[in-house]
Amino acid sequence: MAILKLYGGKQASCTRRVATVLHELNVPFELVEIDVMNGAHKKPEYLKFQPFGQIPYIDDDGFILYETRAICRYIAAKHPKSGLIPTDPKSNALFEQAASVELTNFDPSASKAGLQLWIKKMGYTYPTDDKVIADHLETLEKKLDAYEAILSKQRYVAGETITLADIFHLPYGVYVTYDGSESDNIMNRASRPNVARWYKELVSRPSWLAYLDGVKTTTAY
Amino acid sequence: MPFKIYGFPPSTCTRRVALVCKELNVPYELIPVSIPKGEHKAPEYLKRQPFGVVPAIDDDGFTMFESRPVARYLVAKYGKGSTLVPDPKDIIATAKFEQAVSVENNHFDEPAGELFLQLVIKPMRGLPKDEERVKTLLATLNSKLDVYEMVLAKQPYLGGDILTLADLFHLPWLYGLTEKAKLDLVTSRPNVARWYQEISSRPAWQAVKDGA
Repeated sequence: MAILKLYGGKQASCTRRVATVLHELNVPFELVEIDVMNGAHKKPEYLKFQPFGQIPYIDDDGFILYETRAICRYIAAKHPKSGLIPTDPKSNALFEQAASVELTNFDPSASKAGLQLWIKKMGYTYPTDDKVIADHLETLEKKLDAYEAILSKQRYVAGETITLADIFHLPYGVYVTYDGSESDNIMNRASRPNVARWYKELVSRPSWLAYLDGVKTTTAY
Repeated sequence: MPFKIYGFPPSTCTRRVALVCKELNVPYELIPVSIPKGEHKAPEYLKRQPFGVVPAIDDDGFTMFESRPVARYLVAKYGKGSTLVPDPKDIIATAKFEQAVSVENNHFDEPAGELFLQLVIKPMRGLPKDEERVKTLLATLNSKLDVYEMVLAKQPYLGGDILTLADLFHLPWLYGLTEKAKLDLVTSRPNVARWYQEISSRPAWQAVKDGA
């Protein structure tokens, strides 16, 4: 059985999301770096595997899959005892609800603001727009007020145990904190103590800490 | 106790849930939440759906929201023998289904929804179209549908060989863009045309396309 290959970028946001879940489940993987700076992800040889021309995708012993949340779900399905996707019908429905909330209420503004804030933090020479960042963060503030209401009643977004729905908030949940200080940023406000509690727990997980300097091939845990 | 949908009949997401109820022959009661009157932002409704959008559901006391998870729940609970969601024991079919669901959400939904806003909703409200934005959105949507054309040349449905929720989720926006905004998204794309013709002629969609 060949080692799972993750085709992506060591600092790329969506590659980090997949790596976090691979680490959560102790799955050995090889990072194959795609030269995005030189447009390798738009070349025909790449588009054969990922027709939208984005990173990452995986090759799991010949099985090709793209879309990070689909990849993460696939890995979790191979490790059902992890509980990262609940199987009991009502818990599963509430998990799907939380995963959809991340996609429709968190990601649209968090990814757009987060990507630009990350570019600025890394010092890349790529144009950013402070007004665009501010507008998306304003939208996200309101969404997080609804998160505060949800997280005041339960420990995680889907219920009392951690699931993929929580982990999907990484890495953009971290990148949006680059606007502000460590003690006062959008994920860590005095007015939203439950969001702050949940966020702090998420970013203390070994799976997130493992790749702070970038995703790398991991063969042993 | 009938399945209750708290929604607004013409709303995209309310029709998405009603469509799956019809597919599975699940009778439902639609409890109106008026968007024009702002009822979706009223405190009683926010208790059901903290983000203040429709729909929300109540299935004999079990409450939830977000139209696509509701659709998955309907199939899990009422869809015995339904192939709209693959058997979770088939890990590969499930992964391909999840990839297709993710594609709909990440590549299609945003440009399609915003185009509908610009081309149908804004004129209805007497607001001016943003022509530059429409050009950008059309370019994005067309580039995505070009990929769909390639994918659907090799397989009949977005998740593979069987029709699933991933295909049906596209109906409200595609119907709106082709029938109300009068966009031609399919003439130059025979595989997308074939696929759209099939999913849009399903009786379940015909029953709810103009109102849940």
